[in-house]
Amino acid sequence: MLTFNNLVKHRGTQEILSGISFKARPGRVTGFLGPNGAGKSSTLRILLGLDRATSGNALIDGKPFAELHNPLTTVGAALDGSGAHRMRTGRAHLLWMAHAAGLSRSRVEEVLDIVGLTNAAGKRVGKYSLGMGRRLGMAAALLGDPKILVLDEPVNGLDPEGIRWIRTFLRERAASGNTVLLSSHLMGELAETVDDVVIIHHGKIVADGTLEEVIGNHSTLEEAFFALTSGLAGDVV
Amino acid sequence: MSFPSSKKITRILGAELDKLVTLPSIWLTLTGTFILNLLLAAAFTSVGLQGAAGTQSILNIGLASMRYLQAGFIILGILATCSEYTGGQIRSTLTTIPWRGVQLSTKHFALAIITIPAAFIMAASGVLYTFTMMRDTAVVIEIDTMIKTLLGTTGYLTCTTLLSAAIGALFRRTTPALVVLLGYYFVVSPLTRDFPPRIRKFFPDTAGYYMYLPPSSVKLNFLTPMQGAGISMLWTLIFITVAIVLFRKRDA
Repeated sequence: MLTFNNLVKHRGTQEILSGISFKARPGRVTGFLGPNGAGKSSTLRILLGLDRATSGNALIDGKPFAELHNPLTTVGAALDGSGAHRMRTGRAHLLWMAHAAGLSRSRVEEVLDIVGLTNAAGKRVGKYSLGMGRRLGMAAALLGDPKILVLDEPVNGLDPEGIRWIRTFLRERAASGNTVLLSSHLMGELAETVDDVVIIHHGKIVADGTLEEVIGNHSTLEEAFFALTSGLAGDVV
Repeated sequence: MSFPSSKKITRILGAELDKLVTLPSIWLTLTGTFILNLLLAAAFTSVGLQGAAGTQSILNIGLASMRYLQAGFIILGILATCSEYTGGQIRSTLTTIPWRGVQLSTKHFALAIITIPAAFIMAASGVLYTFTMMRDTAVVIEIDTMIKTLLGTTGYLTCTTLLSAAIGALFRRTTPALVVLLGYYFVVSPLTRDFPPRIRKFFPDTAGYYMYLPPSSVKLNFLTPMQGAGISMLWTLIFITVAIVLFRKRDA
């Protein structure tokens, strides 16, 4: 379970997150939806201990990220890009991560196979396409076979086959009791994948509920999103 | 924050070593520095061979390239920490190793593990080349003096590398860190040569210089090798501590 409690983040004089509170539950895919700059990545970065909240907290099974016994086997995270140095090979990147978490070399080969990067694993990351970089990020997230996945814009740069693969994969993860939180600004994609939806706009949560609850009387998630974010930023569903 | 166990710290150290040895720019820097050092040693030896026979020390000539050699180790230190900020690797690092103080400390330790043998080999290769070329004409130094001087050189280059890594961690970007460090070692420091020695001896590079100064010039020394090592290590520890404190406070 991921719990966000009244997160506030100031950057300079600007308040980029204003009291963010929601939960991502086990067995469900939670979509974190919002336009670019709404505060999705900042929220996820605080959850993963990369940034500090000005106030409030974000907890993983009741603990801050830095207090997890072995973070890689608890939470798999894929943020923007590959998260790897461009001069290092994809395999070398995963190997140092596996080494730090006490995982075997064979697990590295397994995740390379899962994301379809086995043949490109010996290439330098700088030579990867955008989609291959995303796949490497996914491989890193899956390395510790975690119960929780946190993915920031996971379908960016993926081809249709990759998008379909990730959709099926995330559904399967949730079906086996895992927690999946993914952010996106692609509403069509999200509607196909998620059980619950949280909508953020200008650093505030404007909707939080099941996909059906958030869509409400609107015909699609996209319509609901625009209705919720066009001047109604205070009303939470 | 929970503190990782010693087993976990050993794994983190292994991962930091993996990172360093799988980065091609680290090997390029070390190889380039080694070759450049040998070329410089050859040039200084050639000049030495044209000088007065029997009055020159093999150590003085073999280590004459130190001023330039340290540039390679400054680059090595900066690359070790600034490479974290290329391709968003720092995110992978901190989601795998969220204990920031431990992570940056072990990175410095891993860097020292690589730097110590590299520095010794490079310093020794310069001296060895000079010894081979000048053994008939120059003043030969006793073996224990030579080893002490080479150990001092290794210590100085290691401190310089670790200090550079700490500065790299503070700036997080290669170019500004390079400008500041090369600017200090190659512009600011030479410009302060006229400063009184009682002040200058506390500068990191000057204190480090006393770590490997051959004993023939001891009477001119203002610090013993041990005092030089102490001051040099103190500077290094101060910068590493500042880097760790800021690293723990800042957003990644």
